[in-house]
Amino acid sequence: MNLILQTLADGLVLGGIYALAAVGFSLIFGVMQVINLSHGVIVVIGAYLALILSRLLAVDPLLTIPLVMAALFVFGYAYQRWLVQLAVERSSLLASMLLTFGVALMLRNILVWIFSPDFKTISPPYAFVHFHLGELTFDLVRVSALATSLVLLCLLAAALHWTRFGRIVRATAQQNLAARLCGVDARHVYALTFGVSAAFAGASGIAIGMVLPFAPPDEAFWTLNAFVVVTLGGVGSPAGALVGGLLLGIVNTLTAQYVGPAFPNATMFLILVLMLLVRPSGLLGNAFSPSR
Amino acid sequence: MHRRDVIRGLSAGLVAGGIAAPFVSRAAAQSGKTLVFGGSVPLSGAAAETGLNVNNGYITAVDYLNEHGGVEIGGEKYQLKLSLFDDASDPSRAVTLIQRQLDEGTQFFLGSFGSNIVLPTAAVVERAGKLMVQTGGGSDQIFTKGYKNIFGMYPRASRQTRSTPEFFKGLKPEPRSISVVLTNDAFSKTSAQGMVNDCKAAGFEVLGTYELPEKVTDVSSVLAAIRAKTPDILACVTHDQDSLLIARQMIATGTNVKLLLQELGPQLASYRESLGKYAEGICVHTYWEPDAPFKGKFFPTAAKFAEYYHSKFTRPITYHVAGAAACIVTYILAMQDAKSTEPAKVRDALAKADYETFYGRIKFTPDGDGDPLLMGPSMAQVQKGKLELVFPENARTAPTIYPVPPWDKKA
Repeated sequence: MNLILQTLADGLVLGGIYALAAVGFSLIFGVMQVINLSHGVIVVIGAYLALILSRLLAVDPLLTIPLVMAALFVFGYAYQRWLVQLAVERSSLLASMLLTFGVALMLRNILVWIFSPDFKTISPPYAFVHFHLGELTFDLVRVSALATSLVLLCLLAAALHWTRFGRIVRATAQQNLAARLCGVDARHVYALTFGVSAAFAGASGIAIGMVLPFAPPDEAFWTLNAFVVVTLGGVGSPAGALVGGLLLGIVNTLTAQYVGPAFPNATMFLILVLMLLVRPSGLLGNAFSPSR
Repeated sequence: MHRRDVIRGLSAGLVAGGIAAPFVSRAAAQSGKTLVFGGSVPLSGAAAETGLNVNNGYITAVDYLNEHGGVEIGGEKYQLKLSLFDDASDPSRAVTLIQRQLDEGTQFFLGSFGSNIVLPTAAVVERAGKLMVQTGGGSDQIFTKGYKNIFGMYPRASRQTRSTPEFFKGLKPEPRSISVVLTNDAFSKTSAQGMVNDCKAAGFEVLGTYELPEKVTDVSSVLAAIRAKTPDILACVTHDQDSLLIARQMIATGTNVKLLLQELGPQLASYRESLGKYAEGICVHTYWEPDAPFKGKFFPTAAKFAEYYHSKFTRPITYHVAGAAACIVTYILAMQDAKSTEPAKVRDALAKADYETFYGRIKFTPDGDGDPLLMGPSMAQVQKGKLELVFPENARTAPTIYPVPPWDKKA
């Protein structure tokens, strides 16, 4: 019984991190229908920025979240406005996919150039602390990463639901033409959305860097992971990312425990295929689809 | 002269030049007596951290030998040249790069890093009848396909851990049980199988064998199982990044064993820095250390090799650096024995090789892998932040810490 509970608890903690890592990808896909293949590299850049800032300022890596998010927001805004948007306007959505893939390759190699291919870790003072709840063991750094993830996802959900910015994003995603007729600058909104997504990807990079050793080549994994989470949970909403992420985390740990530690990836892709066949829009559907 | 004639003349010249260029450059290289070593190394991608070490080893050997006037083979002086390309840790890309070099006439190849890359590239080189001496692949599959031209600086994976049970048996109080964690790749699987077989044969109880996927992000389930059924020794036949993840999660979840052995990882300074004082007591197999008592031609001692390496690179030295340099040293010694650079003669000399070098004694089995007794690993343990040799007895630089204190006692 304890083993099942421990496995479920481990799955939830892992899933929370997966969810935060995927929410930016989900938002961009939901609002712009752009598949951002450079999502993973932004996650990894977030981890590197946190590593540098936490050492430079001698603060807890979680305290660098505002700075990392601000820097990546600016990066994401500029990237969308002056690169992705041009590709979409002048060619097609497919071109944006190729563009983001190319950017991911370039950024990955720039990271290798700057930081070397060696793996790095972010180790806050509590990196190796654990605590017990009953007979269950929890790793403090993973739990803090989960807590960070939940707080940020709730803030994003609140911002999308209750703020003017959120209303504009939702309106633009649901009916681009109508939104523009109402005076919304769609390009600006797209760039803002991309900026917010990049900021959240960066924040997830901090959580991931605290939990896992990271290196530039890891970016491909986080893009793929985001894709699976979004397919499972549904597009465009933090809730979808959370459901997809938690589900993926639990499936991962349950498979590892009861089928074999070599099989989580196989199960993950099996579920992905089944979801695409049975419910292609994900468990919670497309958050912006009703008005299309 | 008409403009048309000028264009024609220029075109003919360019075409002739273009066609002749490779031959011209090869002829020039041969007249300058340059020995070219081709191959690929992972300078980016998942295997890049150790790939960079392997690459630095090749550069160290070539620079050193060239700075000392080159090498004499069959009465003629040669300068050495590397022609290595980044395979981005991608086996298919590595195969393409090797095939291109074969088409261009490269005769002597050095290995990439990782059995998954060495395996297909070795097949291509063997088929072309050229030679490869490599320090990047230990999987049994490289050495059990009947290849005649592929030589490796390690014993095949299933033989690498042959002396490990003897080390375990020397510990006091003697451990009784072991669990093995591995990743799903060519090297880890065969090496772990060898470890399990050797430990069972030596009378140890194998409590569990846990196979992880090739890309690992979480080992909480495995650690929960290990906490439920705790062995005396946990052996992780995993690659650098995965080993670090396992160690970090073990510490963070308070998963204690009396001894943690990790096949790859602790040899890297970055691994030891990341764990800090928690790295204390973790064991790793190592094939070479700078203070090893090895002597040989070219690099007179292991320490001199390390000294020369540090004069060129700031990156910490690992056994992969020395192993890579040893590939080139072995090639040259074989060529000198063969008094020729003809691949067939060099191949025969490599098959008969028995050389004392800065890397230790080099002798290959008939299948091309390193002799398990002469070229097998020693056991090192992290003590006060650096690696100390703890086994075999005659190479020991420090006594083994066993049982290793629990993680919370190291805090």
